[in-house]
Amino acid sequence: MGQTYKSEVLPGVFKNYEVIQNFLDEVFLQDGQVNNHYRKVIDLFCKYSSANFNELKEHANLSFFNQGITFAVYSDENRGVERIFPFDLFPRIITAPEWAQLEKGLIQRNEAINLFIHDIYHKKQILKDGVVPPELIFSSKHYSKAMIGVNPIGGIYNHISGTDLIKHSDGEYYVLEDNIRSPSGVSYVLSNRETMKKTLFNLFRKYNIQSVQEYPQQLLNTMQSVAPDGVDSPTCIILTPGVYNSAYYEHAFLALSMGISLVEGRDLFVDKNFVYMKTIHGPKRVDVIYRRIDDEFLDPLAFNPNSVLGVPGLMGAYREGNVTIINAPGTGAADDKAVYSYVPDIIRYYLNEEPILKNVHTYRCELDSDFKYVLENMENLVVKPVDESGGYGILIGSNSTKAEREEFRRLITADRRKYIAQPIMGLSVHSTFIQETSQFEPRHIDLRTFTLLGKDKKFVLQGGLSRVALTKGSLVVNSSQGGGSKDTWVLAE
Amino acid sequence: MLSRIGNSLFWLGRYLERAEHVARYTKVQYVSSLDAPLVQSKEFVLESILNMTGMYSNYFNKFDALSDDDVLYFVTLSKSNPSSIAACIAYIRENARGARDSISSELWEAINRFYHSVNSFTETKFHNEGIFNFSQMIENNSSVIKGYIDNTLIRNEVWNLIGLGVHIERAAQVNTIILTKLNDIEKHVIKKYESSLENYQYNTMLKSAEAFDMFKRLYNTNTNRKQSLEFLIFNPKFPKSIAYNLILFQKNIQELGFPENGNIQSLNFWAGKLACNYQYKTIEEVEGDIKEFLKQSLSNIFELATKLENKYLKF
Repeated sequence: MGQTYKSEVLPGVFKNYEVIQNFLDEVFLQDGQVNNHYRKVIDLFCKYSSANFNELKEHANLSFFNQGITFAVYSDENRGVERIFPFDLFPRIITAPEWAQLEKGLIQRNEAINLFIHDIYHKKQILKDGVVPPELIFSSKHYSKAMIGVNPIGGIYNHISGTDLIKHSDGEYYVLEDNIRSPSGVSYVLSNRETMKKTLFNLFRKYNIQSVQEYPQQLLNTMQSVAPDGVDSPTCIILTPGVYNSAYYEHAFLALSMGISLVEGRDLFVDKNFVYMKTIHGPKRVDVIYRRIDDEFLDPLAFNPNSVLGVPGLMGAYREGNVTIINAPGTGAADDKAVYSYVPDIIRYYLNEEPILKNVHTYRCELDSDFKYVLENMENLVVKPVDESGGYGILIGSNSTKAEREEFRRLITADRRKYIAQPIMGLSVHSTFIQETSQFEPRHIDLRTFTLLGKDKKFVLQGGLSRVALTKGSLVVNSSQGGGSKDTWVLAE
Repeated sequence: MLSRIGNSLFWLGRYLERAEHVARYTKVQYVSSLDAPLVQSKEFVLESILNMTGMYSNYFNKFDALSDDDVLYFVTLSKSNPSSIAACIAYIRENARGARDSISSELWEAINRFYHSVNSFTETKFHNEGIFNFSQMIENNSSVIKGYIDNTLIRNEVWNLIGLGVHIERAAQVNTIILTKLNDIEKHVIKKYESSLENYQYNTMLKSAEAFDMFKRLYNTNTNRKQSLEFLIFNPKFPKSIAYNLILFQKNIQELGFPENGNIQSLNFWAGKLACNYQYKTIEEVEGDIKEFLKQSLSNIFELATKLENKYLKF
């Protein structure tokens, strides 16, 4: 029984699969051979016809739909039509040694960032020592004066980090973004896994896969570890902007799976620097708040006075140490994309170690030489605003028109601090089922990881969210830009 | 429990019960009119539906005349009707979504599926399938959801608050059904007294409250005015009667254990006082002026609901 594993001779849903040169294909080697750890998946999938696979996909879609993991689409004829976020049934698989290295790198990076945030709100030693330019920090719109001199309980600022990684054509992982304000997506990791278990249960028997289910428990432990002093059984809550927020499903999912209350700003009030929630039995003290609203809306007294999402007086209670806010306000000053380029130096400075995870080389338009280089080589670069997320406002040079590049030259020249540029990275591709052709085709992917830091505790979710750019050739994986996702398996042995 | 969540759960229960009763009443009235024992005008039935659901004036703001298709679509799905069945179900889902972290996934998914199956009804599909199938779908889903409420939730404040909503709304709906049918009969009597027509109205009244079969079992007789009223208003063991629902309302209040429950100004006191009104009264006492009694009863029920909201569910 000689089984052939070359992509050009595979049957069924892989019939037309082409291995793209110049990009790393996670599933196939450049000569078309199947990567060892994917063989059992390929064996199984080759037994399916296109019709079988479409049916499986419908099952999976229905499962998401019924769970309410949807977003609303508004149009004139269709009131309340809802769609699911696209989900691909081919899991992304990461081997144990590769993951071990990633995990070490993620902890190293996020611990260094935590020390950095503490420093910029206290002695500012790293700025004084000239490792990071002070004007970069003080010009950041996320640098929060209200945080100067504040000591968060347990010494942690970035309790939850959603580090984005890509695998380049050189076979190495690179960090793309640090996301330490309010990273989302973890509910998809857990729901994707549940859906996979319902749909492709027979595949799970063939692999030994690390579980993702303990994340809510780990998150709750993290929250409890940073409760205010003297509170034995802390009341932890999630603060959401409400049901109309696009990530509401995730807020509710996390609250339910941790067994804690999901609260809106209007449910809370502050009295004598303690935070309370309004319950049917009267006020109840709140100790730890995992907030899913941005800094500027947290407290109308301290930040944006027009905010109706936040709680007046919350920052006062926080500064008194009577409540913990997760992540701490002001962490955004460290996930600015211009600060990103200094993270390797930040790691060396605080930990005296070499960075384990690589950074993508970054041109900072505020520097004259970089500015000049970016203007001249825009078609080979990705240009990004430093303080946006969700893939908004970026230009991918190779896919841009002349007019778009002209527009960006004008934007950059007008506000050089706001823009950085990076070489276009060869995001790896992964076989993905495309419904239009009923075939697997290569599509670009990245990986969002989730790292938790608590008082004397650290945890990395085993896997993460592999995001897929569903449009052929596209490098933008954000869900707001037509991206989908995959279950991500970390192998145990 | 947050007061806001309490409010969502209470209204989840109310809208669930309301959607079910509006659907059933519309179905029973309309379907039984198709082969009514006497020639009775269609308009009469359509008017009865609009009266019971409180949509009469809203309907005539949009339409000049009564037509089957217009009335049935207006009551069930019309986007121009903010109290349609579809609107109730959207509210149920919105409330459940707001209280997502308090209820089980099974309950939430049942509500979410319910919402989507109603939302997928177009006007054409509705007219093709007819009011019977549509209402049956609403009633079935409502039963499934109540099954999840009763079988997947802890008997704690979440369950109690949904229960408060269900029972107060059911008491109000049944009260409204009886009042509407009494008015219907009165109109006929004024025109021309027909005893078989009157019995027919009591049959549809009992069926609208899913009470017909149990009525027969209990009384072993044909439907008649006195006993059908007694059954729906005073029977303390029948889950659709006003008395039963007010007793359960008070029981839920007691289980919520508000500290002021012993106080004479407390909600527990009010709820108990109102429930007594039905437990220790006979049909003979109120038969003479039954409409006045029911009008007062309905306004007492609404007042009790308002007291609950103002006292505990404000945020």
